[in-house]
Amino acid sequence: MLEKALKTVFIVLVVLSLMLPLAIAQEKPTLRVIVVTHPLTKDVDKMPHMKTMADAAGVKIVWEQYRATFYEKKQALLASGDVPDIFISGWWNTIEDADFVRYPGLYQPLDELITKYAPNVQRMFKEHPELKILSTSPDGHIYSLPKYQRFWPKNQIRMMVNKRWLDKLGLKPPKTWDELYQVLKAFKTKDPNGNGKADEIPIDWAPGTGSFNVTALLSGYGIVASFSDGTGWYVEDGKVKNYFMDPRYKELVKFLNKLYSEGLVNPEVFTQDYSKFQAVGRGTEEVPLVGLTFGWEPYDRLGSKWAPQYAVIGPIKPSAKYTGPIYWDFNYFGLNYGRNYIAMTSKCKDKEAAMKFIDQFYNPENGLQVLFGPLGENIKKNKDGSYVILPPKDPNMDPGTWKWTSTLADAGPMYVSDTMKVTLGSDMRALAQYDKVYKPYLDRVNLEKQVWPGPFIVYSKEDTDEIARLWTDTSSIITSNYASFISKGNVDAQWDNYTKELEKAGINRIIEIMQKYYDEFKKKYPGILKMPAKK
Amino acid sequence: MKKESHFHGIFDKILNSIKKDYLLWLMVLPAVIEVFIFHYIPIYGVQLAFREYDFSTGGFGGKWVGLKYFIQFFNSYQFKNILWNTFFISITNIIIGFPIPIILAILINQLRNQRTKEFLQTIVYMPHFISTPVMVGLLIVLLAPNTGIISKFLDALFGIGNLNLLGEPRAFVPLYVLSDVWQHAGWNSIVYLAVLSNVDLELYEACKVDGGGRWHTIRYIELPTLVPTMLILLVLNLGSILGVGFEKIYLMQNPLNIRVSEVISTYVYKMGLLSAQFSYATAIGLFNTVINFTFLSIGNRISKKFTGWSLW
Amino acid sequence: MRWLSSLTHKKASDIISDFIVYIMCVLIFIIIAYPLYFVVIASVSNADLVALGEVTMYPKGFSWFAYQKIFEDERVWIGYRNTIFYTVVGTLFNLFLTLPAAYALSRKEFRPRHGLMFYFIFTMFFSGGLIPTYILMKKLGLENTPWVFIVPFSVNIYNLIVTRVYFETSIPQELYEAATLDGCSHLRFFLKIALPLSKPVIAVIALYYIVGHWNDFFTGLIYIRDKNLVPLQLVLRDILIANLVFKEGVGLGGAAGGYAQRYADSIKYALIIVASLPVLVLYPFLQKYFKKGIMFGALKG
Repeated sequence: MLEKALKTVFIVLVVLSLMLPLAIAQEKPTLRVIVVTHPLTKDVDKMPHMKTMADAAGVKIVWEQYRATFYEKKQALLASGDVPDIFISGWWNTIEDADFVRYPGLYQPLDELITKYAPNVQRMFKEHPELKILSTSPDGHIYSLPKYQRFWPKNQIRMMVNKRWLDKLGLKPPKTWDELYQVLKAFKTKDPNGNGKADEIPIDWAPGTGSFNVTALLSGYGIVASFSDGTGWYVEDGKVKNYFMDPRYKELVKFLNKLYSEGLVNPEVFTQDYSKFQAVGRGTEEVPLVGLTFGWEPYDRLGSKWAPQYAVIGPIKPSAKYTGPIYWDFNYFGLNYGRNYIAMTSKCKDKEAAMKFIDQFYNPENGLQVLFGPLGENIKKNKDGSYVILPPKDPNMDPGTWKWTSTLADAGPMYVSDTMKVTLGSDMRALAQYDKVYKPYLDRVNLEKQVWPGPFIVYSKEDTDEIARLWTDTSSIITSNYASFISKGNVDAQWDNYTKELEKAGINRIIEIMQKYYDEFKKKYPGILKMPAKK
Repeated sequence: MKKESHFHGIFDKILNSIKKDYLLWLMVLPAVIEVFIFHYIPIYGVQLAFREYDFSTGGFGGKWVGLKYFIQFFNSYQFKNILWNTFFISITNIIIGFPIPIILAILINQLRNQRTKEFLQTIVYMPHFISTPVMVGLLIVLLAPNTGIISKFLDALFGIGNLNLLGEPRAFVPLYVLSDVWQHAGWNSIVYLAVLSNVDLELYEACKVDGGGRWHTIRYIELPTLVPTMLILLVLNLGSILGVGFEKIYLMQNPLNIRVSEVISTYVYKMGLLSAQFSYATAIGLFNTVINFTFLSIGNRISKKFTGWSLW
Repeated sequence: MRWLSSLTHKKASDIISDFIVYIMCVLIFIIIAYPLYFVVIASVSNADLVALGEVTMYPKGFSWFAYQKIFEDERVWIGYRNTIFYTVVGTLFNLFLTLPAAYALSRKEFRPRHGLMFYFIFTMFFSGGLIPTYILMKKLGLENTPWVFIVPFSVNIYNLIVTRVYFETSIPQELYEAATLDGCSHLRFFLKIALPLSKPVIAVIALYYIVGHWNDFFTGLIYIRDKNLVPLQLVLRDILIANLVFKEGVGLGGAAGGYAQRYADSIKYALIIVASLPVLVLYPFLQKYFKKGIMFGALKG
């Protein structure tokens, strides 16, 4: 009898002691996180590096993932106060400066929490003080944390020309607008793709006024800007301006009108959508169709079949006589830095746990994984602590798509420190090769006088609203005239009218506001913008 | 005293009517309650058009600013242009899009072979299901200069295959309206077909005896049958006079046609992208619906006066 | 020779009008059917060829890729299941609310109908907007449940009006009076006489409600979090965006260029077919309610 009783007690004790760790394990704080990802991105709860980060912070995460379509729902959630503990994503307007102002008290100020629980963030602020600016709101508090992805180039746009056609016609890559005209004319009339049809499209660029646009040619005329932005803002000698109002732009559209009227420009350049633009770039099964165009890099822009025929070429100056400065498309800060990539709400019950989890993203090894994918599958860590970005597991997939599928990529919060030794993938290394033609021109960009500090500027709510109203009207004028100047010409006669219209719509008021913020930024943070000497 | 008795009057009237037609009240009650809960309770949101958005007061108790946002809208640079564009596109859509489903219904109804009739009906309403982005994409491909099938067709007939219709501002409204008609006429004709299917066969017999041909039957039987439905739908259509939908216009917009294609809904969208101003957007929305409602009321009154048919 | 004699029985104008009718029907058929046919062949063709206008009469670069991509995604099947449920139950609920109300509103002796009509129509124009509605849904506990697709906004005023007009014009007053003489109440009249006579309009608004539910994209977008409750349209839109992005991701890390690139756009076209097939199949069944004429005389008995 006693034996049996003892046995029972023993079994009960064993079972209890097994349950105890479980009970303690349940004690892990749970955080609810809304994450907005690229449509290609896989389920976040299946990403090994996300789990590693959660474990390291001692938390359990309940993920709510949206693929791009979140904006409509967001306003309803915020306005009704129905928010999660953490928001993650720097894209798709998930976290906006306006939200901090519009919903006071909804977002958690992180200043003290960072001091107490976020060693990685603190280190990041020390190594890159400009990232602290990127995290601070006009009221002086930190409501969100940024991204710094380090490896991206200084330019977004690359100009490509079909080298094989040039060789066939005995021509050299154009260096002036005149030479460009000659080259395009030859493309049109001499049938370089050899199929007996005059189906060549000498020049094509992306729809709209931005993206991979021909306005990049303005860089050869001395304007430093991010031409893919399409808004026209740039800084010259410390003054904020808009190139859509500049006389040099006038010269450019006159030149483009000449090209257009001679059939050298894709007649659908203003009506096609991005899909069609890319389809045309890929040519047909038998021949390539496009002569000179703009894009991120040849394989993406022109497809793997014809890309080998193309070469990336350097800036083109307006004329042989031109002696002014020559630059190229410049968007270093836009490509590598980002504001509002992760934020905590005040509804969060366990703020310490949340801060610890957020801090994980700013550990450089984690940051690298957020960018390229988990260790093991996407990245190899060597014994000496250096990293190698591995090619895609699926041989048919390109590195870019692989990256976007495996992780948050460019849309995720991260800190990739400059001191890490990383061997990049073939796609990034190829970029460095292409960009050799742009290096001399980009190196001479004066960060103090010629760069609009994009992500670093935050407007007050009133100014944001005012700019939004004025810009909606102004951009309409810019866009419609851009198309009509190039397709219909008559620029000289209409120019004065055009600038007057812009003034009436309020463009100078926008410049005034922007100049104010620019001057304040320069005063407060002289010399804070830097570009690394080498990647 | 007078006010009190007036109120009592209505109250009494309702009570009496309930007593008399309690069954009818019962039948209409679920709908009344449903609409009350989901439409009337949230309606307090409309006041955002007259107030600053203030989260700390729950959103709708912010500072009263009266007509500030309306005036801002009226004074904005593009106001006249987008108002005109919206109106013009809508009116054209009604003028062209309204009669066609009727004609289509009458036409299909003429077919004698039941199977052909049903087959054609089914084909004709299918385009309605194409989602807007795909519809516009289709349009872009079919209308592409030289390569699109419509361009090839025009080239064969008139030798003008290299027109870029999508870039031609004067072609925007016709393209928009005709593609709308193409897509929705079949669907819109369903209700007319349903009405026509209920026409008393005896009437047709009588007409034949009188020696009337096809045109006769259409004029004296089918059209009159359709008139009540036509009127109601026409008046309802007037109620969307400023309601040009956002998605299709936005997708068809390009730098060449933007002057004629910017409408109220796309303007509000672009503003919202740059700085979600709830009050401004609500004010514009309210302006929109007030105009719509006014047109509807006028249309309704005219209809009541001349035909006795009224929405309410 | 018989056809000749049947011809002479017709009036000349009738023959001409017959001819016109047939020609017009053929034209309409071509204008509508060709683009639809185009969508079908485009959905199995190489997307770049489609964009370049090379696909006109038959598919080029044939591939089932688009359909594969869609159907291998298990979310599509969940979406189908959910949408069917929301549509069937939702439409039944719609009809249950709309039909009796439309009937009541069509009876001339029902005095409050003018005020009630205004009460309904007013809501077509003036609404509180998304945020108050969202708050209400939360308070009612409908958010993130299947019922959010069924209970709210279940009376479409437009449909209510169409039905009311039909009741007004097709159920004559004399019929009702004859019935009341026999001691028939409104409810009985509605159920036993009015409804059976109104099959065409019931078919029409049932179709409208069904299609409304089937195509509803917004409700799921705003109110649903649970992956198991997503409707079909939301899933399809996700797939569409994911594949369009093959072309959009450029410059942001070089996200395009994969092997699926060639078929990315054909997914757009395949989606239409996948999304609308069930409803297209439904229509022929509803069509039989549109058959011509019920002899009025039979009713008078």
